[in-house]
Amino acid sequence: MIGTTLTKIKDVYRRFYYIFNLLIIIALMFVPQVFSKSKMTIICTMCGYFIIVGALNVINGYCGQMCFGIAGFYCVGAYVMAILMQTFHVSYWLALIPAGIVAALLGAVVALPALRMKGMFLAMITIGFSEVMRLLALNWTSVTGGAMGIKGIKSPTFFGIKMGGASKYYYIYIVIVLLFLFCTRRVMKSRVGRAWLSIREDEMAAKSLGVEIKKYKIYNFMYGAFWAGIAGALLAPYTRYIDSTYFTLEEGFNVLAMLVIGGQGTLAGPFVGVGVYQLIIETLRPIGVWRFVACALLIIVMMWLRPQGLVGASNSKLAGAGKKAGRKKAKKAESGEV
Amino acid sequence: MTSQYIINQLVNGLCQGFIYALVALGVAVIIGIVGFATFTQGEVVMIGAYTSFYVFTSAGNHLVLGLLASFATTWILGMLIYKVCYEHFLDAPEHISLLCTIGFSMLLKNLATIVFGVEKKPMLDIINNKIYHFGPIQVTKVQLVIMATVLIVCLILVLVFTKTNLGIRLKAVSQNREAAALVGINVKTTAMVGNCIGCAMAGIAGTLIGIYYQSAYATMGSTLSMKAFTSATLGGLTDVPLSALGGVLIGIMENLGIAFTSASYRDIFSFGFLIIMLLFKPNGFAKKRGGSRA
Repeated sequence: MIGTTLTKIKDVYRRFYYIFNLLIIIALMFVPQVFSKSKMTIICTMCGYFIIVGALNVINGYCGQMCFGIAGFYCVGAYVMAILMQTFHVSYWLALIPAGIVAALLGAVVALPALRMKGMFLAMITIGFSEVMRLLALNWTSVTGGAMGIKGIKSPTFFGIKMGGASKYYYIYIVIVLLFLFCTRRVMKSRVGRAWLSIREDEMAAKSLGVEIKKYKIYNFMYGAFWAGIAGALLAPYTRYIDSTYFTLEEGFNVLAMLVIGGQGTLAGPFVGVGVYQLIIETLRPIGVWRFVACALLIIVMMWLRPQGLVGASNSKLAGAGKKAGRKKAKKAESGEV
Repeated sequence: MTSQYIINQLVNGLCQGFIYALVALGVAVIIGIVGFATFTQGEVVMIGAYTSFYVFTSAGNHLVLGLLASFATTWILGMLIYKVCYEHFLDAPEHISLLCTIGFSMLLKNLATIVFGVEKKPMLDIINNKIYHFGPIQVTKVQLVIMATVLIVCLILVLVFTKTNLGIRLKAVSQNREAAALVGINVKTTAMVGNCIGCAMAGIAGTLIGIYYQSAYATMGSTLSMKAFTSATLGGLTDVPLSALGGVLIGIMENLGIAFTSASYRDIFSFGFLIIMLLFKPNGFAKKRGGSRA
């Protein structure tokens, strides 16, 4: 019942694709006029999370890797941005690209050892990388300001308009989010994206069919790290102050939790995940710390009921289609609800 | 920087390494027998430390009592973890149960913050601390007690694994689950016992850490979880003795590292050591397996 309704909605959406997208973009432009300033802060936070959860989705969801240290790339992006703007007085718009590129290069460096190992070993390498980055930021005082962090990062100006504050900065965020969606959609429809999906489903089979695993894994890490770096670079001038506490392992796990709840391996997954997670965090504010317990419970419940997440790729390995138990589910997915 | 200082740091490192080794050993037992990784280990350590704290405050400073209490509590916690995170997913891909353990560790950490409070609980002077001098070596009584406890626990574990029926069943399950089921071993129960043993090791380590650092707090587990995992990774994830060796090495590396630089670089040394090790030996110290599993 729900499945058929969804496909009908999808059909209608596909038919009027450009009109719908245009309408959505126009609607997004008027968001700051509708919501109050405090609501806009939440929306900006969500936009930041969209990008980084989407970046993690590229690595974990599309390519099936186990990157748990996305916070490391986030950290690098933010610090490169802050240092370029504060120490070298580079303009905001010029600093954005190097921040992403430095993160992407580091992604390639992390991917190199990762080529030889998978699963838990890869998870440990990325966690180690993330912690090393955070500790460098905390301890390399002459460059990163150490525990004091970097203060007073300037807000960007766009043709003379100062883009400070949540309601103005929202426009930058939303443009980057749309850009991210556009790029990722294009990449996933290309040869590269198909190679990633084939690596996720069966690495051996992909190799035997001529997919250059090493090359595409490095591309994958670089692409994911690039956007994680951009997410960090956007964060620094928005909060106008960064220190190493923004980039702890817990933050990385929160990002992972959002991805898991929302669903891996689809474009919509990160959006649903961030939406649901922030909704829980914000609406359950009255019950205090218990709301984090609720989030943790939600992860466990999600793993029990729908391991691929709310709107994750249900016809994939992520949905538990591994060994015995998976086969039944895979059959069900083939016959029914794809 | 005198040689005296370096020797002292070596002793500190050895003591810390023994604690890491105990936690890492638990991780290796869990990965070996249950077949899935765990990120909950650090939080189990924290529960162990809190258990012994409440035992010490209510029943006086009996170290053995505290150890037994945290052993029992974390054993039960291990059963719960097995039921929630593993049993349902024995046939599913590993990342599902892994994410489940991450969820469970978040749950435990947040519940502990709520139930026990955010402030550190002091565990002062559980055993009357003294400093002994053996030539240039300077050892505190706490350190000796910790090392002795770890050695005794390891000895008991070795005896259980080699001499008892249970140990043989555990080994059989870790080697080949289907073949073990064919010869009439209840695989699910045995895997649960394996998980409980792993968690109980962490519980004992929790008590030891509590008396070593004289405090218990809700977030004490998070870095420890990573350290234990690092050690187990060095040992190839499933090899129990090598994981213990990895733990000792990590402890020594850290303390030597901070002897030459400053204490805030502690974690950089352990993680840097891990990354460099894995670059040259992707399976850790272990010769085979490792990479194919997990």
